[in-house]
Amino acid sequence: MKKRGVGIGCMWYGIGNTGLPNPASAFVEWLDDGSVNLMVGCADIGQGSDTVLAQIVAEELGVSFDQIVVTSADTMITPEGGATSASRQTYISGNAARLAAAEAKKVALAEAVEKLSVPAEQLSFADGYVYVSGCKSDLALKDLIACCRAKGKLTLGHGWFNPDTTGLDPETGYGSPFGTYAFATQIVEVEVDTATGKIEVLKVVAAHDVGRAVNPDMVVGQIEGGTVMGLGYATLEELEINQGKIKNPNLDTYLLATSLDVPEIVSVIVEDQEPTGPFGAKGVGEPALIPTAAAIANAVYDAIGVRIYSLPITPEKVLAALDEKYEQ
Amino acid sequence: MAKQTIKFFINEIAATAEVETDKLLVDFLREDLAMTGTKKGCGVGECGACTVIIDGRAVNSCMVLAATIDGSSITTIEGVNKGEQLHRLQQSFIDHGAVQCGFCTPGMILSAKALLDSNPKPTEQEIKTALSGNLCRCTGYHKIVAAVTAVSEADCGGEKNE
Amino acid sequence: MSNTGMGASVARKDAVKKVTGQALFAADIVRPGMLHAKVLRSTVPHAILKALDISEAAAYPGVVKVLTAADIPGPSGDGTLVKGEICSDRDACFPAVRPCGVGIILKDEPVLVHDKIRRIGDAIALVAAETEQAAEAAIKLIKVSFQELPAVFDPIEAMKPDAPQVHPNNILTVRKIRKGDVEAAFANADVILENRYRTQSVEHAYIEPEAGVAEYDGSMLTLWVSTQNVHFDRKEVARTMNMDVNKVRIIQAVTGGGFGGKLDISVQCHLALLAYHTRRPVKLVYSREESMVASAKRHPYIIDYKTAATKDGKWTALKATIIADTGAYASYGPGVITRAAVHATGPYEVPNVWIDAYAVYTNNPMAGAMRGFGVPQVAFAHESQLDLLAEKLGLSPLAVRLKNVLVPGGITATGQVLKHSVGIKETLLQAAQTAQKQGPNFPKWEVE
Ligand code: FES
Ligand code: FES
Repeated sequence: MKKRGVGIGCMWYGIGNTGLPNPASAFVEWLDDGSVNLMVGCADIGQGSDTVLAQIVAEELGVSFDQIVVTSADTMITPEGGATSASRQTYISGNAARLAAAEAKKVALAEAVEKLSVPAEQLSFADGYVYVSGCKSDLALKDLIACCRAKGKLTLGHGWFNPDTTGLDPETGYGSPFGTYAFATQIVEVEVDTATGKIEVLKVVAAHDVGRAVNPDMVVGQIEGGTVMGLGYATLEELEINQGKIKNPNLDTYLLATSLDVPEIVSVIVEDQEPTGPFGAKGVGEPALIPTAAAIANAVYDAIGVRIYSLPITPEKVLAALDEKYEQ
Repeated sequence: MAKQTIKFFINEIAATAEVETDKLLVDFLREDLAMTGTKKGCGVGECGACTVIIDGRAVNSCMVLAATIDGSSITTIEGVNKGEQLHRLQQSFIDHGAVQCGFCTPGMILSAKALLDSNPKPTEQEIKTALSGNLCRCTGYHKIVAAVTAVSEADCGGEKNE
Repeated sequence: MSNTGMGASVARKDAVKKVTGQALFAADIVRPGMLHAKVLRSTVPHAILKALDISEAAAYPGVVKVLTAADIPGPSGDGTLVKGEICSDRDACFPAVRPCGVGIILKDEPVLVHDKIRRIGDAIALVAAETEQAAEAAIKLIKVSFQELPAVFDPIEAMKPDAPQVHPNNILTVRKIRKGDVEAAFANADVILENRYRTQSVEHAYIEPEAGVAEYDGSMLTLWVSTQNVHFDRKEVARTMNMDVNKVRIIQAVTGGGFGGKLDISVQCHLALLAYHTRRPVKLVYSREESMVASAKRHPYIIDYKTAATKDGKWTALKATIIADTGAYASYGPGVITRAAVHATGPYEVPNVWIDAYAVYTNNPMAGAMRGFGVPQVAFAHESQLDLLAEKLGLSPLAVRLKNVLVPGGITATGQVLKHSVGIKETLLQAAQTAQKQGPNFPKWEVE
């Protein structure tokens, strides 16, 4: 018989290394024609940090994303970025990139004050132009930068950011290990075949508090990818290790979810802005996976009334647990 | 090492090459032809990163000896776009955010292309089945399936998409 | 100009290169005169390495160099454990400590084994040859003599005083959290639930196996690598090679996923050694098997949870013991277990917390960082415990969570006061509301 059930999984996740300094940095060079070089130590491993960091700089400077060229993770060119781990790069390298852009912007702003005879507080940069009290002026940013350059003033910036943390007391664990935390709830619907023990995950609703989504489509991409990896963790994946030897050391025996295994995923982006994040952003890379297995385990219980206390929840474990239940 | 001369079309260009008889197609493409867009992820026919199209069919090039392509026509990722002009699948992958790390992407695009070339309006299930031999660890597949679906819906049976 | 800054779903910077196959991953890079490398790895989990005979391998046609631990210029030999506590400035003191290895937290993994093998997959020797085939053939000609040692594969066994010693102390990390008074809370509890949870070892399985290319021009070492942290790589390579840090240039090649598994040193130091000794560019690409054998895994956990609650469903105490099998080397183990302890309550305010969390060495494959960094394991436990509590009290899973979630001003298990951006309640409410629109199977939990 096929039985359906629904389960909830929640999670929190501190952004950055636990109770340790973990700074990152960036350089920005704003060029005569308004284009920008951004240099960051942060390694883009596919999650999209080059893109996100360019968007943060685009926002800070008021230039277009396309005008920004990012050089990342080259130790001769880019300053310290720390690890692409701990879901930290949007928050930490993001702040660094924003600070670097702000420093370059300062020079341009001073020039604009002089040119327009307007106090700095009334000026902002957007869409490639200087705005005065929210109204677009005739002064294009590229002309402003060219002007700075002509006067020998370079529009350069560097920035670094280290989240405000304290170490953990070795005896009590007391401390403030993270600058901010991401949160999430996933609700999962499963169908369990009580004859075979097979679990099918039908639908996942994934609500993630990311502070602020720099790039909503890419946030959804992280949620979908993480959820499917979490599904594999919950039901499919296990390294069989016997006497220290991996018995399934290739992808023909270590099974990953394929396009046929994935449930419908409804992603909900919750934006509870983080004041210490770049424009309110936190992170999402790891949170995307964390609650999925927990939610699936709870959904399996809801479906068939047996609780599996070990991962992965395999058909064998489901059948054994059902047998035990009926014996009682 | 025994060698064999083979004649084939690679991305519509006629070619002749000497290959070692035990050389895998994926290695021949990557090493002998310096076409590194075809990736190697497992070497056992499971990940699909090495997918190329041989005579219209998507094939794992790690499971095929190069010598066997004699007389065949091969499409690799390098032949999908025409210079700067991206194929609609490639554009759709970009537009739908179907690319993260990008290592699976060439293989995915070729599996999708082989499907659409033979079945321009596949169902979602047909798309998922056609891509089920291509593993992606990053995206969770949704955006990839959406990217292929969008091209198939846009393709109203007009001239064959190149 | 349309907005392309915050909140804009612009296309990725690297998308065109990736859809056209032009993106250069490390295995795609070719340098003039490039050699191909292979690594000899141990096939036994615990042994004393007695001798290595490389003569036949070195004489094999096409082989340019065979290297062992004796060829490491820097202080990176056998992986003697050097604890952070002994030496607070880890990097600065290493030159004085010889020999040592690589690792993000402890330098306990040998670049090449020189006295003790601790897991299947330990690197023992390197070959660089004109072709990959020659390198592969030569690796098989290296003769290794070793004396097997009793091994330990169960972390609970490994914690016992008489267990085989993987390192001088098999207990790598103990992380404690103490908040309030758990015993008093259990004495006053309406509901106590106690369960053991277990989680498995899993593989990152990025589709791109580890790869890199190195070259040395007599003063600068340059490496193109699939990696998550070029600056860490640079320090590890520089120390291994006994070079100034700025003489090592690490360039991240386009990287085909990492998920935590490309934070550890893989090809970097081996490539640096070979490029240095051959003065030719060298490439090393892992096969899938090598990737799976040599790389770090997600830590398997044994988790004992005892939770107390009031009859209204408010959690009052959590007592937990968490044991993580970190395998043969520390990798990110201490960080993973610390994060697990800190996150063990889940996103809930629990007034009384007692946690002992251990990372334990065994002769299993090394465990390290993997997406979630120790938290998915404890999430499985705390979310199961909450559902069990809800069932016992006749509450909905949503209601029991809403009663316990952290809110602004809430205090975590480590005493941190959360001031802002505490969106857990909002994610619960929005997830529940969205779920209820998904069809009749989703329960109509009342959203207070
Ligand atoms: S490399 Fe051919 S299928 Fe994986
Ligand atoms: S995008 Fe990384 S494997 Fe598919």
